[in-house]
Amino acid sequence: MILKLNHVKSEAAGITQEVTQALYELLETGQVSQEEFARLHVHLDWVQYKQNFREPVMGALVGGEAPVVNLYVDTRQVPACHPSLKSNIVTALGRAHSTATLAAPEQDRFLLEDFKSFRQSIAWEFNSLYWRRLDEWERSSGHSYEKALPGGSSDGNHPEAIADSVADFWTLLQDLDKKKQLPAEVFLLEIGVGSGKRCGMFLDKFQALDQLRGTNYYSRLRVLMGDFSLATLDMSRPNVKQHLPLCSFIVLDALDPLKTLSFLRHKVLYIHTTNMYDNLPSEEILRRDGHFYLVQVRLGMPMAQALRIASAYGIPFDKMRATIERMLQGGADFLGDPARGISFWKEIWDAARLEERLVRFESLPDSPLPDGLDIVSLEELLKRSPDELRFHVSTGAFTSFRNTLPLLHPRGYLQVMDIFVTSLNAYAMGFYGPGKLDGSIVNWVNGALLKGVAERVGYDVHFAPYRYRSGSKTSILYTSPRE
Amino acid sequence: MNLPILPTTIVGSYSMPGWLERLKTEYFARRIRRQDLEEAHDAVAKAAIKDQEIAGLDIVSDGECYRDNMVDYFVERLPGVEIDRSSKKYYYDFYATTVTSKIPVAPLGLVKDFKMLHQFSERGKKICITGPHCLVKRINNEFYPDEAAFAADLARAMNPELRALAAAGADVIQIDEPYFSGFPEDMPWAVNALNLLVEGVSAKIAVHICYGNRYAKPSWEGSYKSLFPAILQAKVHQLTLEFARRGGEDLQLFGKDAHPFELGVGVIDVKNSEIETPEQVAAHIRKALQVMPAERLYVLPDCGCFHLHRDVAFAKLQAMAEGARIVRQELGK
Repeated sequence: MILKLNHVKSEAAGITQEVTQALYELLETGQVSQEEFARLHVHLDWVQYKQNFREPVMGALVGGEAPVVNLYVDTRQVPACHPSLKSNIVTALGRAHSTATLAAPEQDRFLLEDFKSFRQSIAWEFNSLYWRRLDEWERSSGHSYEKALPGGSSDGNHPEAIADSVADFWTLLQDLDKKKQLPAEVFLLEIGVGSGKRCGMFLDKFQALDQLRGTNYYSRLRVLMGDFSLATLDMSRPNVKQHLPLCSFIVLDALDPLKTLSFLRHKVLYIHTTNMYDNLPSEEILRRDGHFYLVQVRLGMPMAQALRIASAYGIPFDKMRATIERMLQGGADFLGDPARGISFWKEIWDAARLEERLVRFESLPDSPLPDGLDIVSLEELLKRSPDELRFHVSTGAFTSFRNTLPLLHPRGYLQVMDIFVTSLNAYAMGFYGPGKLDGSIVNWVNGALLKGVAERVGYDVHFAPYRYRSGSKTSILYTSPRE
Repeated sequence: MNLPILPTTIVGSYSMPGWLERLKTEYFARRIRRQDLEEAHDAVAKAAIKDQEIAGLDIVSDGECYRDNMVDYFVERLPGVEIDRSSKKYYYDFYATTVTSKIPVAPLGLVKDFKMLHQFSERGKKICITGPHCLVKRINNEFYPDEAAFAADLARAMNPELRALAAAGADVIQIDEPYFSGFPEDMPWAVNALNLLVEGVSAKIAVHICYGNRYAKPSWEGSYKSLFPAILQAKVHQLTLEFARRGGEDLQLFGKDAHPFELGVGVIDVKNSEIETPEQVAAHIRKALQVMPAERLYVLPDCGCFHLHRDVAFAKLQAMAEGARIVRQELGK
């Protein structure tokens, strides 16, 4: 048995002892076989997000010629289930084995999907519903989504951070101007506009600086505010009202801005986005013993929870799944009582858990890797990382990044404020999602892989620490053209 | 060289196969032998020549698959340039290089490359040379008093190789000077170096000036206006320029009375994987015909096809050849 102690807090020693003792007792009583015991990988894990998709004890079958089981024990949640630790372990192991065959009965689970890559999970439909119906969620919870962020506000809106961005951008324009290369129209793009506050503040400060220095660049600005949600674009307008003649509001797919803006290929001088990449579909991969495994997940919840929610909302249990699907498509006002609908949505979301199984790449019909990444380059990028490593592939972020870069003017740059894992080795030292942030999903972005992907398409990526709020986990990504 | 009106040709590089990129990186990691890499280069070059012929091009190159990039292939052959071999992460990266002494004249090995092309194709043959201005911009100068002197001396050192290429049967020698558009202030001395490079070379000389094509993206934006008036002093036969990506912008600068050169007009956008239709290509050519007679026009992609997937590069070249055929028919030639 391999025991991985990922948790280093002082109380971990006691929990470690209890878990190993429970496992020995299960071995001695024959509830776990000698062979299974020998092949177990036990991870005393931790979760970063208070709201997450994990059970206190989870098992995941790792496929291959000699399948093993990863047993994850969340040391923060475990104290709550101490008395039933042993039975929880037995249940988790049994459930892990049952995932080897799809036909295995799941009497105690209410499942919303079959196993698949996380990026394809129905969990993202919940995420999408949240952004489409943000105003309803906010009204119901009584706070804005920014309040759910660590620090209670978006790091993107910090006045000092914006002033620095303005100064950098103005310097670029001045440099181009000196070389007589300043375009007649200076395009800026904001992807994911949020409240519009950042863009409004940016333009206020830019206008002031431009006047102060007498450079007359402001009138050349063409500001493109892009978001997948028309409602969000409309909500952002008041915050840029002083600058409306310069602004265009464009519905675009964050995964493929180029599709909408191909007429601006190689023309945009500054592209900015805040806290968007961490909310795009991603997945996880495990490298172990020279093989790569895709972490497949399925969203569900304990049957008891599902029965309780169905009963509380007067939904016949055989209609429960259809009711959830209808909600994901049309919103939460289906019960004729919007407040009750939102409450139902929140309860389902709170109860939602992800189970896992790990499938070897060789067993998959198609490559699970996004465009720009393949096994050979992945191995190259992981060359200096621990042999066993579980890490994110931030598929959505990579896709968005690759489909944004072609918009950049030769001297233009992309600035992304987000939560990045900047070294692959960090994955051996921490847990980086997925977590729940209100009704949305949050995952740290694999910045180390993103850097490797960027180099292949001609950009160097730099990460600057966010120095404007102490304790902030945000980093600022900048691109520069690779010579 | 017996060519039709509106001859079609490539700018230099053809598609670089992904597997060859990996093989090159393996070579730099000392995991495969030089001999294995050369065999792979040989096979890819022959395939590139065949692809160009099947696509219908009138003048072909060897595809330049053995060049890691447009600079390193030359600096590795220039005695007097010191190379930091640890400075490359990927094969496509530029070496960090420094010139610390006068560049002596020495064979650059291009004639050997050309002879392979000569052996394997009966079409018109083109070979491309990175020009002194571009090389000067990439090599750290610790010897010459200034960039102009460095470029002039590079041109002097490289000139015998061009003469040898012409003697070996090169129909077109193309000098690649993409940095002209990024550093217009250098034009007077850059053109002087270009003239020294091609002095006494008995082949058609083209100079290719684009806006850069590193990683299939432009390195500069601007206007070809900045080439003037210095470019008029260039002792070359043809200007080969990027027009397709920019929608024909600046074409009017190159009207028949504005300069003495032939015009190699870019009709294929190599920074975009969308494949042009023959009709789109024909439209580009017709636009060029409004400023220049057919007798002085060559039809090419905007730049090398290095970054395009092979199937895309092939389809684009096919569309280009077909587009030229359409316009020839319209002209009754």
